[in-house]
Amino acid sequence: MKKLIIIFFVLIILCGCSKDNDIYEKNIYVMDTVINIKVYSEKDASDILEKIEELYNEYNILTDRYNSYDDTKNIYYINNILNVGEEVKLDYKLYDLINFSLEFSKKYDKVNIAMGNLIDVWKKYRDSASGIPSYEELNGISSISESDIILNDGNIIKLSDVKLDLGCIAKGYVTQLAGELLESNGFDKYIISAGGNIKVGKKYSSNPYKIGIQDPVDKNNIYKIVNVSNRSVVTSGGYERFYTWEGVDYSHIIDPDTLYPSNYMKSVTVIMEDSAYADFFSTYLFMIPISDGINFVNSNSNIEAIWYGLDGKIYTSSGFSNYE
Amino acid sequence: MVKYIHQVGLVIMNKNDIKLIVVIFVIVTLSIIFINIFKKTGSFAKVYYEDDLILKIDLSKDGNYKVNGYNGEVLIEVKDNKIRVDRENSPRHLCSKQGFIDSTTQTIVCLPNKIIIKIEGKDQELDGVVK
Repeated sequence: MKKLIIIFFVLIILCGCSKDNDIYEKNIYVMDTVINIKVYSEKDASDILEKIEELYNEYNILTDRYNSYDDTKNIYYINNILNVGEEVKLDYKLYDLINFSLEFSKKYDKVNIAMGNLIDVWKKYRDSASGIPSYEELNGISSISESDIILNDGNIIKLSDVKLDLGCIAKGYVTQLAGELLESNGFDKYIISAGGNIKVGKKYSSNPYKIGIQDPVDKNNIYKIVNVSNRSVVTSGGYERFYTWEGVDYSHIIDPDTLYPSNYMKSVTVIMEDSAYADFFSTYLFMIPISDGINFVNSNSNIEAIWYGLDGKIYTSSGFSNYE
Repeated sequence: MVKYIHQVGLVIMNKNDIKLIVVIFVIVTLSIIFINIFKKTGSFAKVYYEDDLILKIDLSKDGNYKVNGYNGEVLIEVKDNKIRVDRENSPRHLCSKQGFIDSTTQTIVCLPNKIIIKIEGKDQELDGVVK
């Protein structure tokens, strides 16, 4: 009898080991891409996923440059309807996002959220596949100066017909908020994938999340796999965002100083905790030479990065091996 | 529960008991491995419309499939373990221009049509890919 009891409990314990979390999944179509969210949880995550979808939809509208929405003072409104010198109250969510961005770019001036006029010129050539703009045309555009944007106690004023473009931050910023919303509701095991942008929570098994970094030259290949938990992994300059003209690749990330696309590397991938900062830093690192980037990352303990050079060489920051 | 586990520790076991436990342990471990291996059969593609899984396609069989996207029919072709979108209605035809895919690291996304095709299979070891 005692033997049977032992056997019984051995079996119970073994069964207990294989208990898995359920996976709750959602695809959200916003910001010109699809955001895939997986939550690993014993309790039902359907409701929170609905809330996350609302969050993305809300910021999708607020940061939209190309469409106006009834009664919403979004980026389209600021760029195209708001008069120069006129002061208007913004939704605090958009105000906070613009404020956060301006604070960041004060320190890292290559990052600029007021480059809409410049981006539009490049977009026009890219969409019609009609060559590249001349320096005269680029030099003749209206302001791309962030100092023409004044934030004042919830209100915004523009001092010229400067145009905002939050493309380099919106996705990372909302993804950070989405992760925080999941965690504050007790869902701490999750992965949010949005193309160049992945955020993961606590590991759902004994292993950390395995994230592949796509080869920017051969898109069928993964050139590096990183093991992460509670981290954001963000790539700038992936193959998908290039425009090729007469054999030359032009990235979609444009240097506000030269007015031309940055061309120091094929891609750079940043690993850090906060997805909004990761989005910004990957853009920043894409716009400075790799050697400067390595020095910068090595002097910051909360960032690690890997670069794919123009010559195909791979460079990593000193702490990157922790993720390999 | 705590009480019983405590008792287990006090039971005096002879060699046969230990053998029996080892045998059961080995059988259970082997079954778990066995189940896990056969759970993942050959690779297949999952087709989603928005959030809903609308079609699961075995990539080992060539064939043509039709699903309804946001802008109308989306034609899917499977050939030599690869899958592509053959025809669809969208302004820039990005997803039919993408061509065949055959690895779990690739995804076909037809944004205007809200159709996503993902490959899953034996070599599914990554949780995600940054592009």
